[in-house]
Amino acid sequence: MTDALLALREVAKSFGDTVALSPTTLDIAEGSFVAIVGPSGCGKSTLFNVIAGLLAPDAGAVLLSQRDVTGTTGHVGYMLQKDLLVPWRTVEDNITMAKRLTGRVTTEDRSEARRMARAYGLGEFLRHYPSALSGGMRQRVAFMRTLMTHQRLLLLDEPFGALDAQTRLEMQQWLLQVWRDAERTVLFITHDVDESIFLADRVIVMSPRPGRVVADFANPLARPRTLEMLTEPDFIALKGQIMHLLHGGAA
Amino acid sequence: MRATRRRLGLVARNVGIPILSLVLVLVLWQLIVVGFHVASYVAPRPRAAIDAVTQNWSVLWPLVLGTIRETVYGFVVGAALGFFLGVIMAKVSFLQGLVYPVLVLSQAIPIIALAAPLVLILGFSTAPKIVIVAWIVFFPVTVNVIDGLSHVDRDLVNLAKVYGASRWRTFWQIEIPATSTPLFSGLKIGATYAVTGAIIGELAASDGSSLALYQEHANSNLNTAAVYGTTMVMTAIGISWFLLVVGVEVFATPWRRRTVARRWPWRRGRDLADR
Ligand SMILES: Nc1ncnc2c1ncn2[C@@H]1O[C@H](COP(=O)(O)OP(=O)(O)OP(=O)(O)O)[C@@H](O)[C@H]1O
Ligand SMILES: [Mg+2]
Repeated sequence: MTDALLALREVAKSFGDTVALSPTTLDIAEGSFVAIVGPSGCGKSTLFNVIAGLLAPDAGAVLLSQRDVTGTTGHVGYMLQKDLLVPWRTVEDNITMAKRLTGRVTTEDRSEARRMARAYGLGEFLRHYPSALSGGMRQRVAFMRTLMTHQRLLLLDEPFGALDAQTRLEMQQWLLQVWRDAERTVLFITHDVDESIFLADRVIVMSPRPGRVVADFANPLARPRTLEMLTEPDFIALKGQIMHLLHGGAA
Repeated sequence: MRATRRRLGLVARNVGIPILSLVLVLVLWQLIVVGFHVASYVAPRPRAAIDAVTQNWSVLWPLVLGTIRETVYGFVVGAALGFFLGVIMAKVSFLQGLVYPVLVLSQAIPIIALAAPLVLILGFSTAPKIVIVAWIVFFPVTVNVIDGLSHVDRDLVNLAKVYGASRWRTFWQIEIPATSTPLFSGLKIGATYAVTGAIIGELAASDGSSLALYQEHANSNLNTAAVYGTTMVMTAIGISWFLLVVGVEVFATPWRRRTVARRWPWRRGRDLADR
């Protein structure tokens, strides 16, 4: 047994002949920010779907706080590149969506949603429908909705993948701020190596055919992270190592 | 101030233009009848048709009420049945394969041919007319609900599942709202045909006093003005019912044309909760 928040034990998943995920063992410490990078089709989303309980693995176990949650749902916050806000609910009601789906939205939930929205620059938009928001604002609402699940583990699958470079950089800094306030454990999938290093304590590199973990780097960068760090030697060195794994020496 | 002006402009456009087109139809009608010297037993002037309605209103009104009742009851029964069938068929694919051909078949039967057996089973009451209206209304509702439900974003449904939502909650909180556009399309199509169904029902299964028979009677008396007048009344019932459904749609789906949610007085407590 471990004291990790999330522990994967020899988790494997295939689709027919495609080995989307070969047996994988992984420990994620409470409160950490872990990024997962890898080329398209290496099983990143499959891994998330297994952790979230959307997919039952062919073998292995998913342990959350030492409890076996394999193949069950309702124990993580989850966010995709598509914001999946519902157009028929206001921003406030979208933020409280998880409670509406699983219990009752209380007055405290509403106040919490409003406090959060005000703190993160969306106070003016509480009564707006999502159609009135920009892409970056929509992703922020989607993330607040994820926070309002009150789960300790958040799975973010390329949440900023669809944003332009400028907005993405703003969102990364915003996410770090929120993560510090909220004290959650984050697993973050991205294609962007810079993003993974800028955000995470630990960068896991995956590779396809069969989908598997090929490297697990501890990030030496201190916190809080600043934009200047993007040019520091430590940053460049780690980036070189990851690029080498991803592109086989091209870096 | 500017907002009020814009709103007034919007109302003028949404109400004014349909009224204008209605007036144009009447003017055109008048011009044709007068211009081509159409005999009054072939086609009356608009004025005569309108008079034929207003002067006989006390006779017409109960018949109008009867037609409205058939239309509304038939529509409600048909819409409810159509919704229910659509949900069941979208959820159980085995049933969809089994029932869909039967539904298509049901729409291929000429309604007139349906009337005789319905009268035999239900008698000359409002019941056969309600059945006929429902028969017409349920189909577009079912087809659109099936279509809508099978196109709900899988990722959204999966997200609800990850959160730990039950299938029941997911259905009512996610799938049904996501289906509102096709659902209302089906209802609007049904609403346009509902009155036609009621009139056909009255013709084919009538016990003597109905709007359709009133018109037949006027026709055999060569009272052309009353024939046209009755048609106008039937059309008015149809349009009113359609507009009512549109009104419900507008009220029920505010997010389609608003950027900010409306403030409801009975929800003020909610809005002030954290001040
Ligand atoms: N439902 C499914 N049915 C069949 N094959 C699947 C299914 N889901 C994923 N796969 C396959 O599993 C492999 C891993 O897919 P996955 O979506 O996990 O990749 P990914 O790393 O998230 O890629 P991307 O970066 O493009 O999102 C791919 O080869 C994919 O074709
Ligand atoms: Mg993916």
